[in-house]
Amino acid sequence: MLDLAVKDLKEHKVRTVLTTLGVIIAITAIVSLGSISAGINDMVSEGISMVGSDIIFVMKSFDMSEMSGPPTSMQLESIKEDEIQEISGIFGVKRVVPIISKMMGGFFGEIDGIDMNELDIWGASDIQFKEGYWPDNDDEGIAIGYPISQFFDVGIGDYIVLNKKDVEVYGIFEESSGAYDMAAILPYSYAEDIYDMEGEATMLVVEPEDISMVEDIKNAIEEDYDDLDAMTMADAMAMAQEMTATLNIMTFGIGGVASLVAAIGIIITMYTSVLERRREIGILKAVGAVRWVVLKQILEESIIMSLFGSLVGVGISFFFVDMLNNVLLGGSNLALITPALAIGAVSYGVIITVIFSLYPAWIAVKTDPIDAIRNG
Amino acid sequence: MKEILFRLENVWKTYKMMGKGIETHALRGVSVDVKKGEYVAIIGPSGSGKSTLMHVMGCLDTPNKGNVYVDGKETSVLSEDDLAKIRRRKIGFVFQSYNLIQGLTAAENVALPMRLDGVGKKEAIKRAERYLLRVGLEHRLTHKPNQMSGGEQQRVAIARSLINDPEAILGDEPTGNLDTKSGLSVIKLLEELHVKEKKTVVIVTHDSRLAARADREIHIKDGNIDQDRTNHNNSHSH
Ligand SMILES: Nc1ncnc2c1ncn2[C@@H]1O[C@H](COP(=O)(O)OP(=O)(O)O)[C@@H](O)[C@H]1O
Ligand SMILES: [Mg+2]
Repeated sequence: MLDLAVKDLKEHKVRTVLTTLGVIIAITAIVSLGSISAGINDMVSEGISMVGSDIIFVMKSFDMSEMSGPPTSMQLESIKEDEIQEISGIFGVKRVVPIISKMMGGFFGEIDGIDMNELDIWGASDIQFKEGYWPDNDDEGIAIGYPISQFFDVGIGDYIVLNKKDVEVYGIFEESSGAYDMAAILPYSYAEDIYDMEGEATMLVVEPEDISMVEDIKNAIEEDYDDLDAMTMADAMAMAQEMTATLNIMTFGIGGVASLVAAIGIIITMYTSVLERRREIGILKAVGAVRWVVLKQILEESIIMSLFGSLVGVGISFFFVDMLNNVLLGGSNLALITPALAIGAVSYGVIITVIFSLYPAWIAVKTDPIDAIRNG
Repeated sequence: MKEILFRLENVWKTYKMMGKGIETHALRGVSVDVKKGEYVAIIGPSGSGKSTLMHVMGCLDTPNKGNVYVDGKETSVLSEDDLAKIRRRKIGFVFQSYNLIQGLTAAENVALPMRLDGVGKKEAIKRAERYLLRVGLEHRLTHKPNQMSGGEQQRVAIARSLINDPEAILGDEPTGNLDTKSGLSVIKLLEELHVKEKKTVVIVTHDSRLAARADREIHIKDGNIDQDRTNHNNSHSH
């Protein structure tokens, strides 16, 4: 209001820049981490709406304690042909689709071999193509997510290597196909050849006759087969929620520490500023400034720094998230800065700053003008 | 009989020293009236309580005991913000060390009390420029305090004290940091405001020649009024 705040900030450039930097770091940490949870939440809900809520995934259970080597070398045991047959016979089961699912080497993606006529069971039949088309069941080809094509720099007719075999790219999905951004889908029979898994599966997708039977089928499978885990979409949702909760805790933890550091910076800077501006504050009071005006002088200064810092922090986060999505994840939308996240972070930055500036501001309000303007 | 602007009734101001229980009585039961339009000099040795008296009179400080009335209003019942309003509207302060804000230009400094009164920047600056012209500083509008001489800075301070058209100007040794020549011109400026604009002028000084120019001299000694006399045959009397 009196232009004194801006003048003071300009006068102490180094201090202003360092303090603002603290705010920038805190907000960048919060928004960048928060964007990953937001992206996962978004992807899961999108995935569930695509797949439908009534299917059950069946996999071999694995014991963490028996795991050896790094997670990337982890290979689940496969489900054998006779087990697949038996599960098809469980009461209430409409169909069972075996899937050969593998991790993609060198990329955060997944390879799925599935009967091309059964794609609808998890909504994959709705995928739009950017280029090309689905391979048929007797084709030796694969359809891949756009980010994967970018990452391996392949187009239609090029080859990607799966288990040391060259596989021709038949189709590339539309950008932003949600969970399918990270998927490479090929005919089940071709996957049997490539991975030498005749009649086997790493995962079964089980569709019940009716949604009311989901829990019964899950229980039947887990009771009959000690070595199998059945996961309903409700379980998947709970898992995703657990994961985002963990991420949120991380965000709060790291963001909290960064905020605390930034807040200490603000307190020290504002306190120093109040001490330095003591005479100025005394003059203001002597010539008739009411308490609110004095308070505003100090808060104005900290609000300018925090607003600027928070906005820059959000801007940098956009840059980080873009890098994460496009460079590290080859064009996926895993991390997502929602408007709520951006606005929330800026408000948080400003509010926390105001709170931490209240003490220095109070010191300013309490300044005795006579003491502050005393001669000499 | 003229209206009373400042009335002090048995005013005590006591400072407690930190640590030990030593008390300093800066004012020991001072009672005094200053009428509207008076030109008063408060004179006394260093440490006698002159500044404290002026601060209490001008609502910059509050007494420990006794009553202060400004324009008939008892100040002890007023809030801190109400006292600020009195300082903003009824009183203009001029200090020995000028007390201008270093980051602001002359015009911005002068405009300050007006802006604190809620007037917009443009209008306040325009008015400030008029007052700077009035004190002979039309060529110093955008100068910062450190680009001006002491005498010029004190003129800026006087312009600032005038901008809200106050009833009184209180000056605490306004010539204390100035050489004789610029000191005299500052005093003449204040006297002109007293004569032409009928401002109440109260000046603290320890210079008896300056005090003798006032209509009335109040002598302070050890926190008490030692002598209160009217100077007749003074060129400023009306
Ligand atoms: N804040 C303070 N704390 C303690 N003593 C003070 C304070 N302010 C003034 N005094 C004391 O009060 C007395 C009067 O001070 P002051 O009014 O400034 O005198 P003068 O202006 O006449 O020199 C002095 O003895 C001074 O030391
Ligand atoms: Mg003094």
